[in-house]
This record gives sequence, structure tokens and C-alpha cells, in this order.
Amino acid sequence: MRKVIFVLIALTFLGVTITGGFAAEQRQWDRASLWNPSTLRMIDTKKYKKKAPYTIGFSNAGISNSWAVFMHREVQAEAERHPDLIKKLYVTEAKGKADKQIGDIEDLMAKGIDILIVRATTEAALDPVISRLHKQGFPVITVSKGIKSDNYVSFVDASNQVLGRMNMVWLCQTLQGKGNIVMLGGWPGAGSVIDRKAGADEALARYPGIKVLDYQYTHYSPTEGKTVMQAMVQSYGKKIDGVWCDSGLQGVGALEAMVAAGMNVPITGDQLNGFMCNVVKYQFKAVMGAYPPRMGAEAVKLALRVLQGESVPHHFNVPTLVSATDETADIKADVPWSELAQPNQPENWWIGHTLPKKWLPY
Amino acid sequence: MSSGKPIFEEYGIYIFLIALFAVSSLLSPAFLTIENLRNIFTPAASLGMVAVGQTFVILIGGGALDLSVASVMATVTVIVSMNTHGQDALLFPVSLLCILFGIVVGLTNGFLVTKRGVQPFIATLGMMVIIQGLRFLYTKGAPKGTFPPFLRLLGTGNIGPMPISVLSFAFLLVLAAIVLKKTIFGRKIYATGGNIKAALISGYNTDLIIISTYAISGFTAAIGGLYLAGWLGISDNWVGEGYEVDSIAAVIMGGTSFEGGKGGVIGTTAGVLIIATLYNLVLLLHLPLQLQYIVKGGAIILATSFYARKAAY
Repeated sequence: MRKVIFVLIALTFLGVTITGGFAAEQRQWDRASLWNPSTLRMIDTKKYKKKAPYTIGFSNAGISNSWAVFMHREVQAEAERHPDLIKKLYVTEAKGKADKQIGDIEDLMAKGIDILIVRATTEAALDPVISRLHKQGFPVITVSKGIKSDNYVSFVDASNQVLGRMNMVWLCQTLQGKGNIVMLGGWPGAGSVIDRKAGADEALARYPGIKVLDYQYTHYSPTEGKTVMQAMVQSYGKKIDGVWCDSGLQGVGALEAMVAAGMNVPITGDQLNGFMCNVVKYQFKAVMGAYPPRMGAEAVKLALRVLQGESVPHHFNVPTLVSATDETADIKADVPWSELAQPNQPENWWIGHTLPKKWLPY
Repeated sequence: MSSGKPIFEEYGIYIFLIALFAVSSLLSPAFLTIENLRNIFTPAASLGMVAVGQTFVILIGGGALDLSVASVMATVTVIVSMNTHGQDALLFPVSLLCILFGIVVGLTNGFLVTKRGVQPFIATLGMMVIIQGLRFLYTKGAPKGTFPPFLRLLGTGNIGPMPISVLSFAFLLVLAAIVLKKTIFGRKIYATGGNIKAALISGYNTDLIIISTYAISGFTAAIGGLYLAGWLGISDNWVGEGYEVDSIAAVIMGGTSFEGGKGGVIGTTAGVLIIATLYNLVLLLHLPLQLQYIVKGGAIILATSFYARKAAY
């Protein structure tokens, strides 16, 4: 029965909800609320209430990988779904550079936007400009990559701490609490990367038999993932018992490096199709915590609620799921790995999106 | 006092490379192993290919450089993955298309520099951005497809102990060295770089020579992109990111001057090896990211200043 429920949840996650019924949609959000580590802190947004139609600004940290592209398009596609409410959506892309993003935000403000959605390049560098806007009474929604302070109306993501923790617990339990691991993070300074690492470290603290040999950044690049993993294999060789990646983007590169070196140890990642398919192809043990790009669409929906004066949660968790090739005592697959990996889809395919055909990057 | 100076001027880069290898071996026991050397040399072969083309451009002098190479590499990667669908049978025609693309980009760069008088920095920077935009239009930001097995073999396979990509680079290197040192075209490049006015008076078609060097750079960038794609095995919009700067650094470290007219591809190869070794060493030493940048940047400056010819003021 439990498995049946999990399969239903996963099917909804895969997009059935776009056409599916209320019950399935409700179940997803129930699940998200169950995962929420605290009670919801609601923000009163009456002071931001305005008459429609609205002008929305979206400042994206960058579109340097396919997840970011999917998420970017989610924002655009969702805005298009509300022609009666949204007059104009201005979009900027900072190419991963904090200084450019600060300029982008100033440009968006000069255009007279009513609300700002930000995916911050780094949580420290963007904090002052967003805090200033917040203190001036301007509504800001942060999404996926937040800022250091809580000077915003709402932060939309799929708990990065939970994903980091989940991956690490699976790895530690798969290694039966004993062994050496290496860790590959994404962008240095990015809020999501910091939070995933923090979640992983919390879990790690309960497994004193697990030793971290090295932690390196990979900028969510498959190329860097492979280069860094190759060097780690050379340094530690058979001492490496497991690999913790906070995304499949570098995970797929790390897999390549291990295959080339004839290594096969458990690895963690996310729902990048190339990662999931290569795990099957090369018969690795793996876990993935999905990080749905649909959070871009949710940020737009939330922005509309703010402008209509509805109360919104300060931290808005988008539903997600977990899958593993091999389950552990505490980490069970919501859906079997083999059902999620889709060899007929491109490697850069991301499950957990709500993009209509027009907006799909294929 | 002065007897040692010419040795450093002539061979400083090679002395530095040997010293770097020696120090690296002492610092990390994992460094001097066959597998690790393969890890260094295999992707370095792609950088080397790009840097060879970059050498041709920089030899022209007058601040000539090609910033569009990394963009060409990334675009070639997505063209191959999206058009071969992982089939060997389509690799050859699609590779030809990629090479043609690289050459067309180079010809456009050369045309802008010579016929329109656009500064090389601006012309190639603009081209880099245009290609990025075209690539994003083409892939819609998320490239699809896979690479044919034969391309993977070229990128990751070995013949005996030697990676195929390294052997391919060696072939390209020899070819480039012959062109530069043994052909009239090569002599014309050095003459144009040494003194463009004198070259013009001598009846050389300097515009054609300059355009040709950019075309060569586009060609080698396309080839480098193909090998890097084969090595990586994953289609990504940013394959080769940073290679534009790394290739220029390798050329300058290798003794080719921005003033043009002096230097060559052998020195460039030493520069490539230094950069690839440094990138590998900082990881083997498990340095935190901040220190990695400091060490890499510091060593590149040190390598260049170690043997740099002092300007006569």
C-alpha cells in the first residue's frame, strides 16, 4: 500500500498534475508541508497590495547549466499564464557575477517594477542590495539561491538542507557508518550550496566513522566534476568509499572519472537525467534528492499573491521526492530509480518541471 | 654575470616546467604516476590544440588575440551531440561541419580586424558573445544528444601508454611547427608580426595573412572542442569555458609576445603543460578554492617573470 502511495506521489511529481485532479495536487503539497522542519511563518503582505496588472522583475544569477535554464523558463512560462494580471515581465541574467546582478537589479528597479524575484549569485554579495529594498518597503521574493539575512518577503526552494542531509544519511548508511568520502559542491558562496553542505554536515556529525577526505567546488560543471574527481582518485585511490555530490551536474562528471579509473563506489546527486541514466548504465549505487525547477513558476505565483495582499509563507517549500538504487534503513525510494531514469530523453532533461511544450528547451 | 641570462631567456619556460614537475612530485606522491599524467595530458591536449591556433594569431602582433575560441569549442560540442545522435556513421560529416564553422568564425574575425579595422580584442569578444547567443538559440539552453563512441575513443582512448588525444595534438604541433618555420606562409607570419609596414612594402598581402591566422585559430578551436567533447562525454553549453584565457596565457608564457613576430608553438606547448600541471597540482594538494586561485595565478606570473626579457628603456 505504501509503495502504491509513493508511486502516485511520484507520478504527480512527473507532471501528471498538470492535467490531473485536485487530490493528486493536494497530496504533493501535503508532502511538502510534512517535510517542513518548522511551522509556517506567514507574512502579512497587505502593505504590498496593488491594482493589477503588474510589472514583475526577475533577476537570475545565471543560466550556466540546464537546471537553471529549466527554472528560468518556468518563470517566463508562468508569467505567460496570467495575461490578465501580469502586464510585463522583465528578465535579466547575471552570468554568475554578483556585481552584474546588482546592476541588473538597479536596472529593473529603474524600469518601475512592482515586485522583484531574485535568484542570488552569492548570498553575501546580494544581501545588502536586497536588504535595502526590503527596508524601503519594496517586495522581494528570493528563489532557489537566497541571501544571508531574512530581509525578503518569501524564499522559494525545495529545502536544500533536507536534500543535503538526505543524500549524506543515505551515503553514511550505505557505507554502514564506516569509510572515507569525498565531497563535490557547486558554486562557492551560493546559498543553495552552503545550505546543502550544512545539511550534509549535520548528518555527518552523527556518523563519526565516516571521514571526509576532501571537499572541492565544481561550479555545477560536468567538466570540473570530472577533472576534480580524477585528481581525487589519483590522490586517494581505493581509500575513497563514497562520493557526495550536491547535484547530478558535477555528479555525471564524477561518474565519468570513476568509470575511467575502474572505480565503483556509492554516489549522491539529483534528478539530472544524464546522471540517473549513467548510474543505471554503469551499475553504481546512488541516491538523488530532486530539486524541482518548477520552483520558478511557484515564485511567480507567490509574487502575484503578495501583490494581491494575501499572506504568504516566509519560506515556501516546493514538493520534491527521493529515489535510490539501493534503499537504506531510513532512506526509501519514493519511486524506483529505473522508472525515473529516462534513456529516451536528453541527458540535460530535468524531471519536476511544469513547462508547456512551447517553453521546453527541446 | 650576463652569461646566464640568455639561457633563461631562451629556455626559461622549459626550466620552469621541469622545476614545476620536480616540485609537484615532491609535494604530492600521486603526481608522478602514469594515470595522473594521463589525467593532465588528455584534457591538456585540447587546450594545446586551441593554444597552437592562438599562437598563430598572437604572432601577428599589434595586440592580436582570439577570445572566441572557447565559444567555438562549446558550440562544436553541442553541434556534434545534437546532430550525430551518438552514431559513428554521422561523426565524419558532422565533424566537417564543425570544422567549417570554426573556420568561418575565424574568417569573420579576420575580416573584422583587417577590413573593418576593429580591434582584435573587441572583434573576437563580440564574436564570442554572438556565438554564445546563437548557441543558446540553437540549444534553447539545454543541449541534447550524445556523442558517438568513436569520438569518445578519440577523447579518452590510448594507443599503448599514450592517450590518442595527445598523439593527435603532437601531430598538429609538428604540422604547425613546420608551417611556421619551414614554409613561406610561416615566414610571412613572422615578417608581418615583426614589422607590418616592412611586410607590406615587401609585397606581402598582410590582410590575407592575418585573416588566415584567425581562420587557423578557428580551425584548431573546433578540433580542440571535438576532442574535449570526446573526453567529457556529456553535452554541455559551456565546454571549454576559460580556454580563451588559458590559451592566451599559455602562448604568452611560452615566449610569444603580444608585439608579434617572435615565439612559436613549442614554447606554447610548455605553457600549456605548466597551466595543466598547476590545475592538477592544486587539486592533488587539496587546497581550498581561494588558495587554488592564488597559487595558479602566482605561478603563472612567476613562470613568465622568471625568464622575461627585460625591456630596454
